[in-house]
Amino acid sequence: MTEVEFRDVTRRYAGGVTALNGLNLTVAEGEFLILVGPSGCGKSTALRLLAGLDKPTSGEIRIGGAVVNNLAPGERDIAMVFQNYALYPHMSVYRNLAYGLRQRRTPRAEVDRRVRETAELLQITELLDRKPGQLSGGQRQRVAMGRALVRKPQAFLLDEPLSNLDAKLRNQVRGDLKRLHREVPVTSIYVTHDQVEAMTLGDRLCVMAGGEVQQIGTTDDIYNRPANTFVAAFMGSPPMNLIPGVIRSGLLHVGETEVTAVPSPDGPVTVGVRPEHLQLHPSYTDGMVPARVDFIEPLGSHVLVTAQVEVDGGRVPVIVNAPAGTELASGARIGLALPQERTYFFDAETGDARRTRERVSLGHA
Amino acid sequence: MTTPQLSTLTAEPEAQEPPAPISERRSRLRLPFSPWHLVLIPLSFLLVVPLLWMLVTSLETEGEANRFPPVLIPESPRFENYSEAWAAAPFGHFFLNSVMVTLVVLVSNLIVCSLAGYAFARVRFLGRGALFVTLMATLMVPFQVTMIPVFLIVKWFGDNVWAGLGIDHIGALMLPNLATAFGIFFLRQFFQTVPVELEEAARVDGTSRLGVLFKIVLPLSLPALSTLAALTVLTSWNDFLWPLIVITSHDQMTVPLGLSYFQGAHRVKWPLLMAANVMSLLPMLLVFVGAQRYFVQSVANTGLKG
Amino acid sequence: MPALLDRVGRSETLSGWTLVSPAAVLIGIFGLLPVVMSLVLSFQHSDLLTPETPWVGLDNYRKLAEDPVFVEAIKHTIVYTALFVPGTMLVGLFVASAMNRSVRFISVYRTTAYITMAVSTISQGIIFLWLTDRDYGLVNAALNSAGVQSQPFLASPTQALYVIVAMTIWGWTGFSVIVYLAALQGVPAELHEAAAIDGATAFTRFRTITVPLLGPANLFLVVWLTINALQLFDEVYATTRGGPLRATTVIVYYLWDRAFVQFDAGYAAAMAYALFVVILLITAVQFRIARKHAHIS
Repeated sequence: MTEVEFRDVTRRYAGGVTALNGLNLTVAEGEFLILVGPSGCGKSTALRLLAGLDKPTSGEIRIGGAVVNNLAPGERDIAMVFQNYALYPHMSVYRNLAYGLRQRRTPRAEVDRRVRETAELLQITELLDRKPGQLSGGQRQRVAMGRALVRKPQAFLLDEPLSNLDAKLRNQVRGDLKRLHREVPVTSIYVTHDQVEAMTLGDRLCVMAGGEVQQIGTTDDIYNRPANTFVAAFMGSPPMNLIPGVIRSGLLHVGETEVTAVPSPDGPVTVGVRPEHLQLHPSYTDGMVPARVDFIEPLGSHVLVTAQVEVDGGRVPVIVNAPAGTELASGARIGLALPQERTYFFDAETGDARRTRERVSLGHA
Repeated sequence: MTTPQLSTLTAEPEAQEPPAPISERRSRLRLPFSPWHLVLIPLSFLLVVPLLWMLVTSLETEGEANRFPPVLIPESPRFENYSEAWAAAPFGHFFLNSVMVTLVVLVSNLIVCSLAGYAFARVRFLGRGALFVTLMATLMVPFQVTMIPVFLIVKWFGDNVWAGLGIDHIGALMLPNLATAFGIFFLRQFFQTVPVELEEAARVDGTSRLGVLFKIVLPLSLPALSTLAALTVLTSWNDFLWPLIVITSHDQMTVPLGLSYFQGAHRVKWPLLMAANVMSLLPMLLVFVGAQRYFVQSVANTGLKG
Repeated sequence: MPALLDRVGRSETLSGWTLVSPAAVLIGIFGLLPVVMSLVLSFQHSDLLTPETPWVGLDNYRKLAEDPVFVEAIKHTIVYTALFVPGTMLVGLFVASAMNRSVRFISVYRTTAYITMAVSTISQGIIFLWLTDRDYGLVNAALNSAGVQSQPFLASPTQALYVIVAMTIWGWTGFSVIVYLAALQGVPAELHEAAAIDGATAFTRFRTITVPLLGPANLFLVVWLTINALQLFDEVYATTRGGPLRATTVIVYYLWDRAFVQFDAGYAAAMAYALFVVILLITAVQFRIARKHAHIS
């Protein structure tokens, strides 16, 4: 019953800035949904609107089916974990956890039970008498989570809760979060700019940019069937290569080279291939995209080769994964073969995916 | 659906306005302005009403002032009160003296406290710690403890060095205030925040110690110097007790003291007295409004660091 | 000694002392020397004019303990301080809370709160003498229209001190508002948001989140305002000259009177030292209380 819904929600500011433009999103009961995108994409705005810390210019926000636009944050039965934790510095951890319950006039015995239960769950029972100032970053983060959990809310809102932790701790807490959600499956909306967090944690992802939704889907959807060049390039590290080209008479041309036949209408296109799918050949043959090695970066498990490809009007860098031990001289000419089923075609102007799946028949000379 | 170019992926459209604070979000009444104005306007008015009333009275005639209930708006503003007040006491002298004293004290403090503050902040010299603590200890001593001996000291200067520094001369107002421990403390704190690397780079380039202070550190310390200047000007100008002790001749009086003398001489001529009051207040009010943020910052910072 | 100098750096020490010497000399002469002189003076009998200052030992202090005017002055000072300090803090907090928002013209409103800081003590006194004038004052006019009889205010031995309290609260409001405004703005907005999400109303948030976090500001104001209150002089001189009937004679006023009007400098020095010790004690006690309080909460 605790479904969260954004119906055509817009937030515009005086001065003309549109932080959020017509967001339509339904988060299913118990789902862990991630809002991901670069700074300024509107994800935090959406979260704050949901929390009631800000008011939408238009549109409806529903929690559990009920419209909450006019409800104060405290009336929406949601809990939030802030990026900087926002723990009450003058109160002990116990009182921090108990605060929300006390505001709702929960009887003292019940408060005590729930606080200790939550502390147990997050392994912070020894910290109950300490103040936030005496805790480490990781401990504070757990207290912030605890403060949200103890309320047993209808929905969890998490605003980049891991961004202030060091890398090692972040990985650990990511695992903790996944386990926690399994044990306590509350509808959760999580905001992050980190695509690794997004892909590993989310049941579904909502990729955003410029105040608008770019794509909603599972990690698999987003990664393997990107809806446009933004999503394609944003998710994945190193990002997907985007190479401008033209289809003429059914043949793909990159720069001056005729590459291969493509069953797609004529016109300018953006070709997308991920580094791990692009096939590197030490010498060029027909049907490949010719390139010139720029530099190589050995990573131990494989080697990242950055090469320059000639296109109409200049050159673009292309990154391709090569097996460990590959050695190539700077300036060497290589061939890059486009894989079947893993080459994406996007409209050169709008960036939208031309077709969600393209079968490319590669004609080998 | 438009897709932003790759170059705009890193663009951050800053929200023009912070999200509305929780308390202001839901006003059922659609007023064209925030309801808080209805509280702030009367409150502000109440705070400045003494000053406003002073202004109003300064433009009234004696007859209007001596009416009860009081006249709220004078029939025709009597600006002559001001010229009469000016003529009734040597205000020219008062202002001149205040300006000279304040100027000398200001310049002296800025120079002396900068030198000392820099030394305490950056120069490792023998006895630095002990000297600093000793000087700062003087901040704990209230003026009443030192005022009597300082009177005697100043008297000694007047008798033995130069009369202009002695009792009943404005030099006596300047002398004890040429350097304050507060100024040293304040500037030292600030100088310590200037990155040492800048000074070291200059030293490597051959600049002398003093050169580093004047060419590198001081130009970077303008906010702190401005703040110290604002505070020094205000305290010096408004100082009353010390001038009261030292000065008796009218031509050596500073503005507050002169005003007090004026008050004694024209006790019940309220419009005249108020005109004199307005004239005396105006310089500092203008300085305050102009340098407001320095005052606010200085008080706020001392208050927060406790 | 030469080894020590070498370790610290001879040129550093030289430049250090050169830079510091003007300040050290000035503060030494006008800040440190007087402290010693005052102590010595308090054991003497001096009239500031004749060079002969006979030693009288603890006589001045003994006289002080038995001086009825001094005792009265202490009483007045205590009453004044006990009203002024909390009064200024409450008014300051109230005004700062009102001004802690970002509506249009807020900087103008805030300036009206700050501006009392720029008004000299004499000016304050003159304005309030006029405001509270028994016959023609604005305050009495307002009271009359509300049906209350005109009050003598500063002319009354029973009311004068309280009027001075009100007057000095007005004068110090600017200072208090600056401190509280900075403290209020130092409370991160996120804390308010978290509390709102936890279900706390605006008033509860103020009570449970904002006010406790004002601790450092409160301590600073209590100490600073108390020290200043104990040294009250200018405003008394500007209005009542210690009267009527000594009703507003506070310690420093009596001190000044004895030193520079009665020319009994030794006695005044003893009084000044007594005041000094009291100020130190009170400040120390306040800090002790604050530290204990911080541990408990």
